[in-house]
Amino acid sequence: MRTERIISEDTATSWIEDGMTIAIGAPAPMAMVRQIVRRGVRDLTVIDSGLSLDLLIAAGCVRKTVSYYAGGHLGVPVLPNFRRAAQSGELAVWECEEGILCAGLQAAAQMLPFMPWRGGVGTSIPEVNPDLKLFKDPIAGETLIAVPQIKPDVCLLHAAAADAYGNVRHFGGPGWLDLFLYRAADRVVVEVEQVIPNEEIRANPWATTIAGADAIVRAPFGAHPFYSRGFYLQDVPFVSEYFEIAQNVERDAAAMHRWVDRYCREPANHAAYLERIGIARLMALNEF
Amino acid sequence: MADYTNLELMACVLARELKDGEIVRVGVATPAAEAAVRMAHLGHGPNIELVFFGGRMNVAHLDSIPMPAFPWDRRVVRWSESYSDSGHRFDRLKDWNRHVFFIGGIQVDPFGNTNLIGIGKDFARLRFRGPGSVGTPSLSTHVGRYYIVLNNHDPRVLVERCDFVSAFGWGDGGDDARRRIGLPGGGPRLCVTPMCVMDFAPGSRRMRLLSIHPGVSVAQVKERTGFELIVPEQVPTTTTPSAAELELLRNRVDREGQLRR
Repeated sequence: MRTERIISEDTATSWIEDGMTIAIGAPAPMAMVRQIVRRGVRDLTVIDSGLSLDLLIAAGCVRKTVSYYAGGHLGVPVLPNFRRAAQSGELAVWECEEGILCAGLQAAAQMLPFMPWRGGVGTSIPEVNPDLKLFKDPIAGETLIAVPQIKPDVCLLHAAAADAYGNVRHFGGPGWLDLFLYRAADRVVVEVEQVIPNEEIRANPWATTIAGADAIVRAPFGAHPFYSRGFYLQDVPFVSEYFEIAQNVERDAAAMHRWVDRYCREPANHAAYLERIGIARLMALNEF
Repeated sequence: MADYTNLELMACVLARELKDGEIVRVGVATPAAEAAVRMAHLGHGPNIELVFFGGRMNVAHLDSIPMPAFPWDRRVVRWSESYSDSGHRFDRLKDWNRHVFFIGGIQVDPFGNTNLIGIGKDFARLRFRGPGSVGTPSLSTHVGRYYIVLNNHDPRVLVERCDFVSAFGWGDGGDDARRRIGLPGGGPRLCVTPMCVMDFAPGSRRMRLLSIHPGVSVAQVKERTGFELIVPEQVPTTTTPSAAELELLRNRVDREGQLRR
């Protein structure tokens, strides 16, 4: 009998231990991100951008981030908790950019010690990140950057659908770096809006974007407050509320803690979170 | 009192720069550029290809191409004809000399080097931690040309030397500055701000005043620029938006008036 791979968001996040490197796709698999906060995992190295990164920093889960972009929201050019923690030195930043990040993930996926990359030559990035080495290439003698492996222990993604055996479908294409993260990571967990029959996967194997995810978490509205293509749009007021509180974190840290408690620590699981958000609000996000 | 805003003028300036058949890539947080590519596509560039978030599209048949409602509004990809995320984000770089890009910065120096990393002397304890480079190092390395677009013209932004460089423009200057270190792309073409338009003088590749927006004086630009700008004897006034440009911008692109706020 073939083994099914559907597990709960709680079990999935129990794979994540203090000090691990985790990668978070786009849209962020928020059902699992909230569970990481709830479990109080610490000292993570996080490959991510956006609200989910900021939230994990606010909750005290992150020691280091591999970040190409930590911008926020309308009127929030830099993620507030990221900015505060980076400036105080409590958060280490492994400075990079998209091309360098892709090169490092590719090196990990292909078991190479490094991948060469040109973008970043002439900039301060190799100066502020000593893991990146400028070198003369042995073929043409050009100066390039050797990007070492970036290897997540666990990669957490959100997608549209999957069968019980880890065959994943994204609607409207996989998110931002999802496939790079998937290829590089030791273990891959994908939360999905729907679990679909294996027959449906077999009917159109070309539609399978990720083959053999280690685990599938069934989480309708799991990306809330982000969008999930084909299902719902971003909950803009919710995101705005988060950033209003986050921007004020230095004056009112208690409000930030209350927000994190209310939406991440108090709900025992994803279903409890959705009850807290309320069905009317969720239904209003229907994609059109 | 002008009947258009600075951002609208900047959008018109940038739209005029784009040629039919070019591939234009837009990031986030530069509303003038967001509007400009849409204007150029609907106005004079039916063969322009727009790339938003990896989604590549030609939508010249549409009556309007609305602005994104908020940053990272991924509904813009719904018109895509292809989507690069399914393959490799930095695929077919050899074609990128046909690509045009727009770039912002928390600091910009006289040679168009830009900084999105942060402000301060010690990287481990920055005074201001910036958002990070996004893809600007790779994009600026490879695209045929790019435009530096600033939402503020301020001596703290236009500085003598960036604390950190995240995108290499013309380095320490000189026509061969990029070639010397093996960067294939064409570098920054203009820097467009709410006060003026600047280019990079051939030879030195130092920033040079190209035109000033109506109502702005050369003295004001100098005062608000943190380095010495090359100022020609005659500095023309930036061509103001025509009625047709404003009609296109307001009725077919920026219907919610994001650039008028």
